[in-house]
Parts: sequence; structure tokens; C-alpha cells
Amino acid sequence: MTYLMLTGRTVNQGVTVENKTSAEYAAETSTCFMHEFDMMELGLDDRDTVRVTGPCGEVVMRATASPEVEMGTVFVPYGPYANHIVAAGTCSTGMPDFKSHKVEIEPTDEEPKLVHELMEDLGGLAYDR
Amino acid sequence: MIVKDAVCPFCGCLCDDIEVEVEEGRVVAVTNACELGTTKFMGEKRMKNPILRDGDRWKDITYDEAVRYAADMLLEAERPLMYGWSGTHGEAQCVGVHMAELIRGVIDNTSSVCHGPSILAIQEVGHPGCTLGVVKNRADLVIYWGSNPIDAHPRHLSRYTRYAEGFFLENAFRDRKVIVVDVRKTETANIADEFVQIKPGGDYAVLSALRAIVQGKTDTIPRTVAGVTREQLVRVANLCLNAKFGAVYFGLGLTMTRGKYKNIRNAIELVSELSRHTKFTISAMRGHYNVYGSNEVNTWMTGYPFGIDFSRGIAFYNPGETTAVDILARKECDAALIVGSDPAAHFPRKCLEHLAEIPVVQLDPYPNATTAFCNVQIPVAVTGIDAEGTAYRMDGVPIRTRKVISSDYPSDEEILARMYALMQEARER
Repeated sequence: MTYLMLTGRTVNQGVTVENKTSAEYAAETSTCFMHEFDMMELGLDDRDTVRVTGPCGEVVMRATASPEVEMGTVFVPYGPYANHIVAAGTCSTGMPDFKSHKVEIEPTDEEPKLVHELMEDLGGLAYDR
Repeated sequence: MIVKDAVCPFCGCLCDDIEVEVEEGRVVAVTNACELGTTKFMGEKRMKNPILRDGDRWKDITYDEAVRYAADMLLEAERPLMYGWSGTHGEAQCVGVHMAELIRGVIDNTSSVCHGPSILAIQEVGHPGCTLGVVKNRADLVIYWGSNPIDAHPRHLSRYTRYAEGFFLENAFRDRKVIVVDVRKTETANIADEFVQIKPGGDYAVLSALRAIVQGKTDTIPRTVAGVTREQLVRVANLCLNAKFGAVYFGLGLTMTRGKYKNIRNAIELVSELSRHTKFTISAMRGHYNVYGSNEVNTWMTGYPFGIDFSRGIAFYNPGETTAVDILARKECDAALIVGSDPAAHFPRKCLEHLAEIPVVQLDPYPNATTAFCNVQIPVAVTGIDAEGTAYRMDGVPIRTRKVISSDYPSDEEILARMYALMQEARER
């Protein structure tokens, strides 16, 4: 199914933003907030994992029902998970379309990766201590 | 020891009434700050010393080695990118601009991915803004458009709008109306007197409809505009026209959607339309505590607020070409210095693929997502906690942040000044 993905700030994202190696930051920024009817349609329960495919890749997140989003729209807190599938085009403004990406969402059995695993997939080297 | 009137270095509100309790060089309690600020003051997972990537492992190095590495990297680069700057103080930003000029690099700050489009609109039609104090004391109508202060600027509502006292308002809570315009029914929407829910991508159309109504052309408005009924549009326009002093605060809901700076331009033009009838102002909800400062410092030093390219020997500015996301996505830069931001968490993946291929040095107190792409990371003091310096509040008021604890970490300014001195020396040889 196709949805419109918006990204934005949440309190939990802000609270953990200076601690990006934490499990809490990974949990918050890998949450895909959806309308409960959309979740029902996909056969999803709260915290089930979903594969979200955007214009330049796919990433696994956890779906959570939210009264804040409309049907057909999903909301993902700012962070490395949403940006893993956001395109870099800026229409000559410098600003990517962080709040208007069409994505495909389907249930999956895979688990979301950790932040450093996403970075290593792109050629980085995790630092942790 | 209790430090009074400390300044919170998290968001653009720069709250300056924070009380911080310090024991044995550690922050143990924070009063008055929101959850975001409290967590930042209490943060303890600092990186201990500079690190260097050595193949598949990390090696500890000294500050001298790290500074030398960074200076050499920037001197050797043909097209260096220097990005970030909103998480540091103005004095460090100044050194950054001097460095960019010396090495003919590109210097860009995080506003290119937050309120850069707002600045483009302001360059087209101006900025009828005011300070937060004016809004607190005078505004009887506040509109939050595409912004969610309960999550992003938690004390904006209690210090300046919904829950604040106002000198010229008898009963501010009763007399001040709050309208929230958003595509999501956020927490902030729940405390509004009027919530206008727009279909995603419909902001421009709704702004145009409101402008038409204010101009007396209500009969041209269709039954709904981007999901908003004509009745509600007329009601909102009347609330605006009947206000004595209205203030619009807009967020990334306008800058990050299609239309980008044209959305902001339309909002500013609605405000100037309304100011023909009553008094209205508009301002951006700036995110990082000193992102406004990075625009100020860049503008007074180079003439441009962000995305400045010195490769021609003079300052050149062309957002979309000289901005960080575009330069990385085009695989154009051959080295990157990152200061006070975390592009690996906030840039699209294509940009990170290029960061992985070039030398990167980062100045940041904490290990973050960008650490994975660094050749060297230099831990520094946190401005407002163990370093002091000037920051600009979201309304353009400069505030001197205070040092509440002492540490052995050097400030951003100290590290950058040492790098700059080495680079000047090398260029003079």
C-alpha cells in the first residue's frame, strides 16, 4: 500500500538526540506512526515491524497506532531511519522533501537495524563505548 | 551550588531563567527547563578524547594531533565543505567563516535543511517580525502554522503565548486566542481554540484563500480548500481581522513541503495583507539554539546567511547549488569539517554515501551518527554548559550563554582558532 510519509520532531526524539547510540533514540526514530485503520488493513498490531520502501531504498521500522495522523499518511520522527529512504533532490532550494515522500509499506518479519548498522551499511564504522 | 538564570542551549527559545544545581563538577538537578533542556543539561555520555579512524578500528589521539589532522585535511582539499554551526556559539562561527575564506571552501549551516526556505522568502518579500516579548505582552491572537511547539519548543506556549501573562491583556489566558494549522492533529492542536486541518501539500492554497477573504473576495472561494471548509476559512479570517495584534509562528510544516519558500512567501504576504487592517507579525520557529546566530554571523561577515561558496575568492551564494545536501549528493566536496550538527542522522542517504568516501573531521561533544563517517572526531565543551558564548534567540535577540560547570574540554572556538592559526601559517609559507 502507498502512503505519504511526513517526518518531524517529537519530544522523545529531542530528549534522545544528544545520545544517538542509545536504544531509546533508535526506538523512537524507527517508529512509523500510522492510522489504526491503515494498520488494520495491513494486519498490523502495535509494535509490529514493517518494511518501508521510498524512492531510494528501504528500511525496517516498527508501526505504532497514532490518533495524530490521517489515513493514508504516516509520521516518522526525524532521524537516520526516515533519511535512509528520503531522496536528496532539493528543487534548487537546498531543502529535500522531508515532509512529502510517497512510500510503500508492508508487514515484515525482519527487525529494525541499529543506528550504527545503518551507518555501516553506507560505509561508516561504528564507534561505541 | 545553584547557578541561577542559566541559558538553555537546546532550542531557539534560549530560555534564560534556568536554575542548574551543580555538585562536584556535575549537573545534578535542573529547574524551569523543559524535558529537552533538562536532558541536555544532564547529558553525560561525552566522548573522552579525540579519536582517529585507523582502518577498521578507532585509535585515541591527542588534541594536537587531531587539530593538525583537521588543518592538513582542509589545506589539501580542493573543494572543502564546512557544515553545521548551529550547535555552537557565535565566536566559533566567526572563526569558521574566516577559515572558509582562507581555503576557498563552502560554508553552510543547518538552516539549509530547516528554515533556509524561510530566509529565501524573506529575501523576496521582507520579514515583518518582532521580539517574543512584544508577542507575550500584546498579542491577542497567535497562529502556529506547520509547527508543533509542545514537542519542538515546549516552553514557547508558557513563556510567550497560550499560558503566558501579557502586560496589555487583562486576562491573557481568556483574551488570547490560539489557532493551530497543521496536517496532523498534534498535541498543540489539542490546546488550540481553533484547529485548521489541511490536507498535506495544501498550505499554499489555504494561505491564498485567506488572502482572498481578507481582500473581500469571499465569493471566489470554493466550498473546501485543501480539506478546509469555506466556513472555517471565513471564521479564521475574521478572527485575524478582529484581533488587535496577531502573531504567526510557522515551522517546518511550511518549509519542508512542496512549494517550500513559496509557502512562506504566501504566509508573509497574508500577514502584510492583514496589517492593512490591524497589526500582524510573522516569525519562524527556529530549531537549534543558535541557528539564527549562524545566519547572523554569516550575513554580517559575507553578506549571505548560509550556503556560501568562496571558491571564486569572493562570497557566492546560490541555494540548491552551494548548499550542503546538494554538494554531497553531487559528490562534489573532497573533505568535510562538521561542527555542532549531525548530518548523518539528518541528511538523505545519498549524502552519507559520499561522506563515507571523503575525509571527515567532526567537532562534537558526543558520539553521534556522523561519528561513523569521521576520520577524526574532536570532543569539545558544550556551549551553555561548560563553555560560554553568544547565541541568537529565534527572534534575533543575542543572549550570552553561561558556563555552569568547568571541564577540561576545549571550546569549539579554541579548537577552530588553533586550526586556523596552523592554516594561516601554512599559507604564509
